[in-house]
Amino acid sequence: MFSTVLVANRGEIAVRIMRTLRRLGIGSVAVYSDADAGARHVREADVAVAIGPASAHESYLSVDRILQAALRVGADALHPGYGFLAENAQLAEACRAAGIAFIGPPAAAMLAMGDKIESKRMVAAVGVPVVPGVDGRGLRDADIIDAARTLGFPILIKPSAGGGGKGMRLVHDAAQLPAELAAARRESMGAFGDDALLLERYLERPRHIEIQIAADAFGDVVHLGERECSLQRRHQKIIEEAPSPFVTPALRHAMGLQAIAVARACGYVNLGTVEFIVPNDATGEFFFMEMNTRLQVEHPVTEMVCGLDLVELQLRLATGERLADQALPVQADGHAIEARVYAEDPHHGFLPTGGTILSLREPVGPGVRVDSGVQTGSVVGSHYDPMLAKVIAHGRTRPEAIARLDMALANYPILGVPTNIAHLRSLLRDPYVVEGRLDTTLVERLIGNVAVSPIDPAALAAATLITAHADRRSTSGSAWESSFGWRHGGASPASFRLRIDHDRVTVTTARYVDPTWLVSIDGAPESAAAIEWDQDRLRCRYGDTTATFDAAMATDDSLWIGLGGQTWHVSSIGISRAERSEQAGSAGPVLSPMPGTLLAVHVTQGDTVIAGEALAIVEAMKMEHIVRATGPGVITVVHASVGQQLQMFQPILTVEPTKGTEP
Amino acid sequence: MNLVMPKPSSDTPQLHTTAVIPSRSFAANQAALDALVTDLRATRERCSKGPDAARDRHVARGKLLPRDRVEALLDPGSPFLELSPMAAYGMYDGEAPGAGIITGIGRVAGRLVMVVANDATVKGGTYYPITVKKHLRAQEIARENRLPCIYLVDSGGAFLPEQDDVFPDRDHFGRIFFNQANMSAAGIAQLAAVLGSCTAGGAYVPAMSDEAVIVANQGTIFLGGPPLVKAATGEVVTAEDLGGGALHARTSGVIDHLADDDRHALSIMRAIVDTLADDPTEAGVAPTEEPTMATGDLHGVVSADSRYPYDAREIIGRIVDGSRFQEFKSEYGTTLVSGFARIYGRRVGIVANNGVLFGESATKGAHFVELCDQRGIPLVFLQNITGFMVGRDYEAAGIAKHGAKMVTAVACARVPKLTVIVGGSFGAGNYSMCGRAYSPRFLWMWPNARISVMGGDQAAAVLATVRRDQIEGRGGTWSNEAEQEFTGPIKAQYEQQGHAYYSTARLWDDGVIEPNDTRKVLGLALEVVNRTPLSPISNGIFRM
Repeated sequence: MFSTVLVANRGEIAVRIMRTLRRLGIGSVAVYSDADAGARHVREADVAVAIGPASAHESYLSVDRILQAALRVGADALHPGYGFLAENAQLAEACRAAGIAFIGPPAAAMLAMGDKIESKRMVAAVGVPVVPGVDGRGLRDADIIDAARTLGFPILIKPSAGGGGKGMRLVHDAAQLPAELAAARRESMGAFGDDALLLERYLERPRHIEIQIAADAFGDVVHLGERECSLQRRHQKIIEEAPSPFVTPALRHAMGLQAIAVARACGYVNLGTVEFIVPNDATGEFFFMEMNTRLQVEHPVTEMVCGLDLVELQLRLATGERLADQALPVQADGHAIEARVYAEDPHHGFLPTGGTILSLREPVGPGVRVDSGVQTGSVVGSHYDPMLAKVIAHGRTRPEAIARLDMALANYPILGVPTNIAHLRSLLRDPYVVEGRLDTTLVERLIGNVAVSPIDPAALAAATLITAHADRRSTSGSAWESSFGWRHGGASPASFRLRIDHDRVTVTTARYVDPTWLVSIDGAPESAAAIEWDQDRLRCRYGDTTATFDAAMATDDSLWIGLGGQTWHVSSIGISRAERSEQAGSAGPVLSPMPGTLLAVHVTQGDTVIAGEALAIVEAMKMEHIVRATGPGVITVVHASVGQQLQMFQPILTVEPTKGTEP
Repeated sequence: MNLVMPKPSSDTPQLHTTAVIPSRSFAANQAALDALVTDLRATRERCSKGPDAARDRHVARGKLLPRDRVEALLDPGSPFLELSPMAAYGMYDGEAPGAGIITGIGRVAGRLVMVVANDATVKGGTYYPITVKKHLRAQEIARENRLPCIYLVDSGGAFLPEQDDVFPDRDHFGRIFFNQANMSAAGIAQLAAVLGSCTAGGAYVPAMSDEAVIVANQGTIFLGGPPLVKAATGEVVTAEDLGGGALHARTSGVIDHLADDDRHALSIMRAIVDTLADDPTEAGVAPTEEPTMATGDLHGVVSADSRYPYDAREIIGRIVDGSRFQEFKSEYGTTLVSGFARIYGRRVGIVANNGVLFGESATKGAHFVELCDQRGIPLVFLQNITGFMVGRDYEAAGIAKHGAKMVTAVACARVPKLTVIVGGSFGAGNYSMCGRAYSPRFLWMWPNARISVMGGDQAAAVLATVRRDQIEGRGGTWSNEAEQEFTGPIKAQYEQQGHAYYSTARLWDDGVIEPNDTRKVLGLALEVVNRTPLSPISNGIFRM
């Protein structure tokens, strides 16, 4: 076995690989960019090597720097994880040349599977089914139409030279084909200067099912069953499971044989995944899409139903052990399902978020596993993939696994960085998902159902009292601290404007009538409220409800609150000067900043200008002063003409401010 | 903050009640005092505000009611220890509830302050004799307890029918300003927000304050209002043109901050209080906050060609904590930028050039330097100055004496001064912006900086003009080629001798620093310079 393995990756996969290395008594070496100096994978490694700046191209994607690091620490093997250089034949080859074992397939197998068109041709040649299609290059339309009849409809027409979906046309019946072909040729010619077309049978709402294979250096290849990864958003897998609720033993057997055939066709060694696209109509058909020549993100669901450590298996195969000597399972045990936790905001188009994780508690429970690259204090930036962690749950049955995953997500508060956890939970409860009626378009179709969940009133009451420093006042001996809002003959309520997440603003008041706090939300009648910290939990009584939240204070005194996988960020806002000026706009004439000569006027009456736009130039004391618009508006009058001598503060022109829309 | 009261020692004897509860006498006593308290509350309530009609008019003008102003000024949840809320009770035929003024102690920006707020809904906020007495008593408490004073001004001045009890005596109206001057001298901040009228003697409340805010199109300050002006000189002028916010913030300089409305003015006031010297009990060092403006862009925002000005705030925002800058007199003397900020948690007053100095910029600079000196806040000068404005109008307006005020203030300020020459350092601009001769504790240059008595182009032009006049005076001619031959070496000499390296070689500075290190260098220096106790304030004569 190896003595030191360099993990050429970051985040959860680096942490997860090192976990196996540690268990096997193998030294682990992390690499990190400047942005990751304090990252979890660095802390959990025996040794960590800095490999360059935050930009992935100069660090995690640099073959040279990774190899230098491996040589410097004397690593005898390199594990590439997934993503970054995991499928880079150049790195595999460089490792081989340097006498470092690359934990993955031979470079030749990687190259063979790396070209998505060539690989299809290659596997089709050995009888593996691919999506039926016609290469129309050099064919007349009539020949294409003849050939198309054998494909079955609907049919997708793609420009040969195209990519990224540009110029694709969907044809539902044969009658439309001639017209669509002609149109497609024209469009392709216009867009790419080439009118060659490809035709392919179009699968509506298909499933994504993949087979995990393992191959040793002696030509032995086995499969370890399938994973279904049909829950995707924009081709990004979100939830994966094993086994697939769709796959019958017969289908599994057939797919497994074809996956093995693919591996053999390219001379594969080590672990790999053969991805198939599967029509949802139970015809027993399935078609090869591509082979991933690495460990997959979703490998844990296979591990949990197989009782295997796939990283360990990778290491053993890389040292030349035989598959026959491994304790491989005969059949899957129970059901496993995984959800990917991303730093992204489902309520704002799933845009990546970021920030510092203020508090985080990983769920524990029977059958629950968390593979995470972050911990409290981790800084989530924008340099890399926004996936933070994976939560995997195993159960005897699919419903049990789903229920356990849902509970685990509910008990996974991540405060400080907005995540998709609430969205994952809503998916797990969707009837289609519950019933296993999955396809690759389901998530997108359900996205409209992502509701903004209103903040719990008790959480707002808690935020109000935190903003009023109610939790700190009782311990203070100072009369000024403890006499909240005191006035002759009574207490005055303090009013707060609280911003919830980015957009919602709520006005609350707090009043202290010894010994009780009274809180009102949005003008509702006051109710008694009390808060109590219990480490990183915040208990709040509001009216007759008591709720316990996960909570953390950010450095700017704003509050993060989590409950059941939902998180809210509440901050108190005052009227800042900047905010006022923005609202005030740019009324009145624009004045000369200096006594001098008007050198140029860039606008005329009626022009629309934006904030900061250059309007005129005044020359004075041998300097050119640019006069800019202070806000958006329309030029109503130009008072001065070019060449004119101006006094200080003499009006040059007048901007009528555009009425701003207040948030 | 965590002031836990010591527990009473167990040896301290404890008292126990001897009252018989319940008893008939107890119940009777209780009922009697309950009734008195109920009456007190009702009476205080009646004294707390002016008549409804006046309140409605006040609100209709977009103004906050006086108590709402106090609430908006105080920290949320701050107690308010109001003073004499029933002043003038039973006097003046009940026409002056609360004597038309609210005074009391509360917290603003975490510190205790004295609030003095006129109630314009009571006879226009005019001063009855008891109003004067209440105002003076608040000032007395502020002086004795070193509480910064915040005046929320909205007053028509003396109540004329009672002028003999308001104006002439020692503890009458004039004493208000006497107190302001003397408290300011004692380092007790005097701050005013002009939220309405501020007429005649009242005009001195903001004018005698260390810093003042005014609400545009609402606050007015004048010694004589439009009717008096018309009577005296025949001039017809609106209140806004005579003494409105824009006038005082932009032209007269009587006011330092222009606000859009009451809430904005009070928010500015809170920000001003936040810049005051620290309570002696506080450490005064806030947690460090990195600038939010992209510090890496500094090189890109500094104009490479000195003919094209750029906004000094582009530099300031990249060196101060959180890019937060509480600007002073942003509307006035705009070629000088001044304001408060923190660098590595420590307060600083920043003075930076945004063009040539005018008389207004110079007096603004002098005022700001004095504020910092008063508050014990170190000064940072970001020097990029070609000099003072030239021309007959400016000389006639006394630009030399205005410049002298700033030079005096800079020379005499006892607080530590740090200077960074970020661009040009020419002529008298060098003096007013704390050049080497003004003993800044440290002086650094950026590599693009230039220092000389004037710019090379200007020097060449001046000398060429003199030479041309000599030649032409003798009846000779001087060709353009000859002139260029003459000026070339002069420009070259200035370029060489004005260079930052020429300067640093001769120890005219403490080093040439990289612009991106400015924040770091200032932060390190601020810890060094804060170690010396300050001498008492003293200034030379400010030539007026």
